Amino acid sequence: MSDRRIGVYICHCGGNISDYVAVERVREAVEHEEGVVVAKTTMFACSDASQEEMIEDIREQKLDGMVVASCSPTLHLLTFRGVAERAGLNPYRYVQVNLREQCSWAHTDLPQEATEKAVHLVKAGIAKARLSQSLEKIRIETVPRALVVGAGVAGLRAALALSDLGISVFVAEKSERVGGWLGEFGDTYPHGRSGSGLVDELLKDLEQRENVQIYTEAELVSKSGSVGDFTVELRVKGEPITLNVGSIIVATGFTPYQPEEGEYGYGEDGVVTLPEFVRLLEQCDGQLTYQGRPVKQVAYIYCVGSRDQSGERGHPYCSRYCCNAAVHASSLAHELSPEIHQFHLYRDMRTYGKFELLYMNARKQGALFVRFNEEALPEVSRNDGRLHVKVKDMLTAGEELDIEADLVVLVTGMEPRPNETLNDALKLPVGLDGFFKEIHPKLRPVETVIDGVFIAGAAQAPRNSAESAASALAAAAKTAALLKKGYVELEPLVAMVDAEACAWCGECLEACPYSAVSQASRDGKEIAEINTAVCKGCGACVPVCPRDALQVKGYEDQQVRAMIEALGSAR
Amino acid sequence: MIKVDAAFIERVTSDPEFNATACMNCGVCTAVCPMEIELLPRKLFRYAMLGLKDKVLEHTESVYQCLLCKMCEANCGADVHIADNVRCLRGYISKEIFGL
Ligand code: SF4
Ligand code: SF4
Ligand code: SF4
Ligand code: SF4
Ligand code: SF4
Repeated sequence: MSDRRIGVYICHCGGNISDYVAVERVREAVEHEEGVVVAKTTMFACSDASQEEMIEDIREQKLDGMVVASCSPTLHLLTFRGVAERAGLNPYRYVQVNLREQCSWAHTDLPQEATEKAVHLVKAGIAKARLSQSLEKIRIETVPRALVVGAGVAGLRAALALSDLGISVFVAEKSERVGGWLGEFGDTYPHGRSGSGLVDELLKDLEQRENVQIYTEAELVSKSGSVGDFTVELRVKGEPITLNVGSIIVATGFTPYQPEEGEYGYGEDGVVTLPEFVRLLEQCDGQLTYQGRPVKQVAYIYCVGSRDQSGERGHPYCSRYCCNAAVHASSLAHELSPEIHQFHLYRDMRTYGKFELLYMNARKQGALFVRFNEEALPEVSRNDGRLHVKVKDMLTAGEELDIEADLVVLVTGMEPRPNETLNDALKLPVGLDGFFKEIHPKLRPVETVIDGVFIAGAAQAPRNSAESAASALAAAAKTAALLKKGYVELEPLVAMVDAEACAWCGECLEACPYSAVSQASRDGKEIAEINTAVCKGCGACVPVCPRDALQVKGYEDQQVRAMIEALGSAR
Repeated sequence: MIKVDAAFIERVTSDPEFNATACMNCGVCTAVCPMEIELLPRKLFRYAMLGLKDKVLEHTESVYQCLLCKMCEANCGADVHIADNVRCLRGYISKEIFGL
C-alpha cells in the first residue's frame, strides 16, 4: 500500500471536456486508487478560485503529489507547477493529464469510449505521481561576457549594444579586416550614406570602449561548457586563446553567389556580377566606362543564383536584397552617365516596403523593365563582337527582344557562408537552404536550440544591412536578458548514468543530438557523463544503452512501467 | 526576334515631355479609353520605350485615332502624361515618316 497523499482534480474545461467525457464518472473511477486522498471535479481548474482550493488542499491534506486532468501541458503545465510551488509542494511532484486534446476533442462521436480512455489516462497520471520525487532546478552562475563571431555590420552592432549594457564583448573576425561586406561599399540606400562610412562610425565608437576586444584573423575552434558558462577556444593569427563567456552570438554573414563559368555568359568580357558592377561604379569618375570603353547600354538579369525552383543549383529562396540593390545601382549609373540605356530583365520585382521608391526613381530616370518568365530565361551570347541578351518580354505579350549591351550585370543573390570549423565546434542546426536556423521564425527569431548561442544577420537568412543590425540588437537583448540576471535555472529533467552499470561503450554519445554526453573516469573506470546543463532530457540515449544504465529524471523506468500498467489495467 | 533600337529610343524618349517609363503596366488607361483603342497607350509606349520602331509604325493609325481627351491621364496611377506622350509619337511619325 502506498503511503503517498495525492490530490486529483478533473476539469470540465467549461464543457470542452465535460460535454464528451463524463467527468464525475472519471472521478468515481479513480478516487479509490492507491494513494489518492483528494479527488474532485472542477469547472475551470485554471481559475483563481480553483487554484486557491488546490493550495488549501495541499496544505490541509498534506498532499505530496498532485494530478490535474485538464488540457495540454503546453498550455497549463507551468500554471499548476506554480500552484504546487505556492503551496509548498515540490513542482516536480505535479503531473498533468491531457483530457481535452486527447479525449474530448479527439473523440467527439464516442463519449462512452472517451470517458473510458480518460479513466485510464488519469490512472496512469496517478501512477506517475505515486513515484514522483522532489527535484531542484539546475542553477548555473553566468559569466558576464559574450563572444560575437563575425565583425560585419551585425557583429559590430551587437558588440556595441552589449558594451552599452555593461557586458564585456570579444569579437572574433575570420578575415584580416573588420566591417564585412558593408564596409566595402560606397553609397548605400535608402539614405545615400557610404557603407564604409557607417562601419567607420561603428568602429570609432567601439575603439573607445574598454570592455570590447576585437580579434582579427580569429577562428572559433571549439566550445565546451554550457549556457551562461562556456569555454571557447579561438585560434588568433595561429595562436590559441581560451575565453570564458556566458553567451555566443554568431553573425558570420553570407557570401555572394558566384556564377558558374558560362552561366548567362559569365566569364565573357563585359558580363559582371552585381557586386562587381557596384565596385565599377565606385571607381568610375565622371562617366561609366568598362575596361576603358564607354558604356552605352546595360542589361541586368535578375535572380541569378536565387529562386531556382528546379532544384538543380539548390537556391530555392529569394535573396531579398538584390532587387533593391539592382534598382539602386541603376540610379547610381544614371547619375554617373545620364545618357546610358538600362534594361532590367526581372522575374518579379521585389522592392518591398519603402524600397518601392527606389524602383519608381529608376523608372522615372528612364530605366526599362522587362519581365521574363522562369520557363524562358534570358540568353546571353556574343556576336559581331557585341554582347546580346535575348529575352521574351511578358509585358508585350511575349515579344522576343534582342538587346545589345556593353555590360551585362548578373543580379546575384546570397549564399550561406561555408563555416566548417565553426559548424563543427558549435553544431548549430542549419536549414535545408544552408543558413543557420532559429527556434521559431516569429516568436524566437534569434535563439537556437543550443541554449546561450544566438544568431544574427545574414548568417540566418538573406537580409540587408538594416535588417541585420535589427537582428543583431535582438540577439544582444536576448544575451543581456540571459547574463544580467547572474544565473540561469534549467529544468532538472535530465539524463543520469548509473556508474556501476555503465561500461563505456559510447552508444549514448552517438545517440545524443545535443552533445550532452562525454567520457569520464570515475574510480578508475571509464563511464559516460552527462552535462546536465546541456542535456534536454529528450531520452534519445535511454533505449540505446545495452546495459540499462541510463534514465531520465521525472521519467524513470519505474514510473513509465507503472504508467503502462495503469493504462493496460482492466476498468 | 525584334532588335532593340537604341537610336529610336533616344529619339522618342529624349523629348522632355515623354515620361512613359514611369508606367507600371496596370492597364487602367486602356480600360477607360472612350475610343477603345486596344493598343493605346500602354503597349504603344512600351514598344516605343523598348525601341521597337517597326511595332510602333505598324500602329500608326492608333496613334492618330487618339482624341487627346486625357480620360486615361486623369486615371493613371503613375502620373504618366499620356496625351503628351501620344503627341511625342505623332511628332516623330509626322516628321520622320511623313516628312512633314
Ligand atoms: S530580391 Fe529580386 S533579384 Fe533577388 S532573388 Fe528576390 S526577386 Fe530575385
Ligand atoms: S536525454 Fe537526450 S539530451 Fe540528454 S543525454 Fe540523453 S540523448 Fe542527450
Ligand atoms: S550507452 Fe550505456 S553503457 Fe554505453 S556508455 Fe552510455 S551509459 Fe554507458
Ligand atoms: S487621350 Fe487618347 S488614349 Fe487617352 S483616353 Fe483619350 S482617346 Fe484614349
Ligand atoms: S494608366 Fe498609367 S500606369 Fe496604368 S498602364 Fe496606363 S499609362 Fe501605364
